[in-house]
Amino acid sequence: MFSSPEFLEAIQSFVAVRLETFESKEHEKLIRELMDGRFANTAFCILAPDGEERLTRTGRSPSQILGPDAPNRGRGNSSDEKIVAHMQEIAEGYQQRDSNGAPVLQDFHSFRQALNVAAGDQRLLLYAVTERHHADKLQSRIGSIFSYDKLAGIFHVDQSQGQNDEVWSKNVEGASPSPGYYLIEADEFGQDGKVIASFPLSTEADALEKSLQEANRIYGERVDRKVYSEHVEEGRRKDVFFENEVPYGEDRDGDGEIDHRRGRG
Amino acid sequence: MKRIVCSLFLLGSVAAGSAYSQHVRPIDIGASPQAVGEAGVAWYTTWETALAEAERSNRPIFFMSAAATCSGISGVF
Repeated sequence: MFSSPEFLEAIQSFVAVRLETFESKEHEKLIRELMDGRFANTAFCILAPDGEERLTRTGRSPSQILGPDAPNRGRGNSSDEKIVAHMQEIAEGYQQRDSNGAPVLQDFHSFRQALNVAAGDQRLLLYAVTERHHADKLQSRIGSIFSYDKLAGIFHVDQSQGQNDEVWSKNVEGASPSPGYYLIEADEFGQDGKVIASFPLSTEADALEKSLQEANRIYGERVDRKVYSEHVEEGRRKDVFFENEVPYGEDRDGDGEIDHRRGRG
Repeated sequence: MKRIVCSLFLLGSVAAGSAYSQHVRPIDIGASPQAVGEAGVAWYTTWETALAEAERSNRPIFFMSAAATCSGISGVF
């Protein structure tokens, strides 16, 4: 569903946010708030632009909050159609604004997680190495090309904001502390990577967009989709492990205690 | 076989709905049907940036959380 043209069009009327469930205690707290105290591996919810008002119930799947499993859903024939129709219905209640400054630029809490997510999605990662107070300037310069224009949904973007990230400097071939845009291809397990192109921060948005489009085209031609079951098997053989701040586990009854800790998440 | 739960999000290879709420084992997981390089969802990856963009653009928020690992193995979302 998440790759269907209908869904991809519908979700442009939303701000889509995907958090790593076990990344931090802050994420756990947010998920528990949305799930009335429970904590689950997956959670979905639609909220108003203020981030407070819930527009759907919270569930563990899109269909639980938007589709045939949600209350009072009837439009469309298939599950996907019902979900998209419900999304459109919700979006119609909001008048989108595009004139209130540049779109917010994507960011991660850590470069380590950015690399992991880029590997999982098989997207190239643009890492902007900048000074701490450069975020607003960066956003006004390139924010729009990653939000509405041709690069939306193709890359992941992370910003250093003056931080000297250890994973960046040690695990990425071609890493540099010098300010600039660095285009990174993560390795298959997202714990290492290599810089495949770099650009000065002064690069105009149009030129950057063209260069990134070309890099992505080449990447798409060169790389095949990973088969996740094979990936996991290979990871087991190689003893790959990625530790998050919050250990894997769920609290389905919402008593504040993790119910079980089978597996490693 | 040891049953290990993954929350894998496969950009469309999992039918919308119940698969998310069921225990998906690594052996059950295939590949995304979307070609590498094709545009997908423009995800924000922190709550702070998403909320700021929602307030700026007056768009509702499509919230999702999931594990970016499977059996502790990274490079999976």
